[in-house]
Amino acid sequence: MRRAKRAMPGRLLTAALLLTVLVALAGPWLPLPSPTERVGMPFEPASWSRPFGTDMLGRDALARTAHGGRTLVLQALAATVLGSVVGLAVGTFAGLARGGPLKGVLRVVDGLAAMPALLITLLIAAGRPGSDVAVLVAVTLVSLPFSVRVVGAATARLADLAYVRTALARGDSRFAVVRHDILPNIASEAWAEAGLRFIAATQLCATAGFLGLGAPAPAANWGRLVRENAVGAGTQPWPVLAPALLLVTLALGLSLAADRLTSPAGRPRGDRLVSRAGRLGTHGLTSPAGRPGRGRLMSAAGRLRKVGRERNSAR
Amino acid sequence: MIRFGLTRGVTAVAMMLLLSAVLFFSTEALPGDAAGAVAGADATDSERAEIRERLGLDDPAVTRYVTWLGDALTGDLGRSSAAGRPVAEVLASRFGNSVVLVGLAVAAIAVLATVFGLAAGLRAGRLGDRLLSSVTVTLIALPEFLVATGLVVVLAHQAGLFPAVSTFPPGDSSWQHPDMLVLPVTALVLGGLGVATRLVRAAVVGVAGSPAIEQARLNGESGVRLAWSYVLPAAAAPGIQGLAVMAAGLLGGSLVVETLFNYPGVGSELARAVTYRDVAMVQGLGLALAGSALLILFVGDLLAGLLNVRSRPGAWRRAEGGVS
Repeated sequence: MRRAKRAMPGRLLTAALLLTVLVALAGPWLPLPSPTERVGMPFEPASWSRPFGTDMLGRDALARTAHGGRTLVLQALAATVLGSVVGLAVGTFAGLARGGPLKGVLRVVDGLAAMPALLITLLIAAGRPGSDVAVLVAVTLVSLPFSVRVVGAATARLADLAYVRTALARGDSRFAVVRHDILPNIASEAWAEAGLRFIAATQLCATAGFLGLGAPAPAANWGRLVRENAVGAGTQPWPVLAPALLLVTLALGLSLAADRLTSPAGRPRGDRLVSRAGRLGTHGLTSPAGRPGRGRLMSAAGRLRKVGRERNSAR
Repeated sequence: MIRFGLTRGVTAVAMMLLLSAVLFFSTEALPGDAAGAVAGADATDSERAEIRERLGLDDPAVTRYVTWLGDALTGDLGRSSAAGRPVAEVLASRFGNSVVLVGLAVAAIAVLATVFGLAAGLRAGRLGDRLLSSVTVTLIALPEFLVATGLVVVLAHQAGLFPAVSTFPPGDSSWQHPDMLVLPVTALVLGGLGVATRLVRAAVVGVAGSPAIEQARLNGESGVRLAWSYVLPAAAAPGIQGLAVMAAGLLGGSLVVETLFNYPGVGSELARAVTYRDVAMVQGLGLALAGSALLILFVGDLLAGLLNVRSRPGAWRRAEGGVS
């Protein structure tokens, strides 16, 4: 009974999220007027031919909104994929390394993870103004420390387990150990972490657009649409409201979806979000990856090795 | 403790160096661009060459970085290429305003997050906790600029309660215009409150199940007194660290909020410099903001180390003696 009641708004939000992503990706293909051509006076009220009215330069607000989402979603997606690849590569090897310079890398990474993401994004992207790729690179770099840390911590928990030590001791290459013994066992954490990074990346990309980074002025971008039309929001709210509502749906829908997919039953809602946002490195206050992975699924090779080791061991 | 502080200090300095390098090499325009920008479009080749010589643009990038960093350490951040003013002078005139803005927000968040976090953490799992958790999740999920824009549209444009733009004469300090501070501070508070509340709540939940608190409950302590005298001291260390991370994050938020309200602070100046491709200004202000964030995190770590009961054996014994 209560489940059904709580599931309903969640389902609506998921449907709205899918619709928003669809609008974002397919928007530029819709048969709408040009998003950069002036069709009327600034801030004309909504009418039948122009459902959202016109924006601050008299351009069609609906067309601009439809064109403003694709870059944002693709940027965030690319940054997430790129960050996952690099984060997994660095994180697993740093987590396996006992002592040595790689542990030092994790230390610095810990510190960097606490720096304000938006400031660092701005500073990295500032060198190449007007470039969407620069924003993409900046967002990737900013989210990397989080990825490296989560993957590194998950790997370090496995590194002490018997089957990993056995594999290393009998001379398996590090790469083989990472591939066969580590990766299958941290897959769920890696997916959860990538989901959180995608949420953060959409926020950062939207905010970058708001601050005027990325493709220059005539290009539409939900973040920038909110900013450039905020002046006229008192008289004509639609040019601001439409992209803002889409962004709100995107943000809330994504975090609800991530929360539902990643948090085990019984954890208070949004704990993982906080570990993302709080990013405390040192006191284990918000260990994002949850509990140690002892009871986790092991790869077949790992399981065989473990059985063999237990049979052979004196203990 | 001294060792702890030293390690942290060294780490902070190393990170400052790393960040300054990232900042310098990512914003440093190609040499030709910089010379062209200074010389203007119709300069001759020899004029350009002379400017390159004067600006040291023919030196290797590493040499220029070291020179820049050395100058920055002595307080010389170069000149703005747009207005020609020294960057340090702009920084000095804006810094105080930003400190007022962020400081007010941090103070408000600290109080509110402590109250909400204690209330939710001591009643974990009940209705109030669940409601509060929904609100904080929503606040965390929304990008700051949406919340800030929402405030402007509703409270400034529609209701007309507060000014939508917080620009005041250059000589004035922000204290003289409290009405212009209301909306920016509120926007920052809403941006950071969700994270801070959840961090405090997590710390409180972690402490609330400990034997010390159980003992206090068995001794008949409850309500505000339990929260204030027993839970809060024990939860203070992780709580303070959480607040430090949040306060550093507000420096990022201030970029958005100051830009939206046109508030004369470091953040809006930096965003403007990025728009106008004012390299020296971006580097100088960026360095100042990154340094401030590192300093806040460092102080937060130190305070947490000092407050951590477990790192003080004497305090442990005293506490045990007091209970028996």
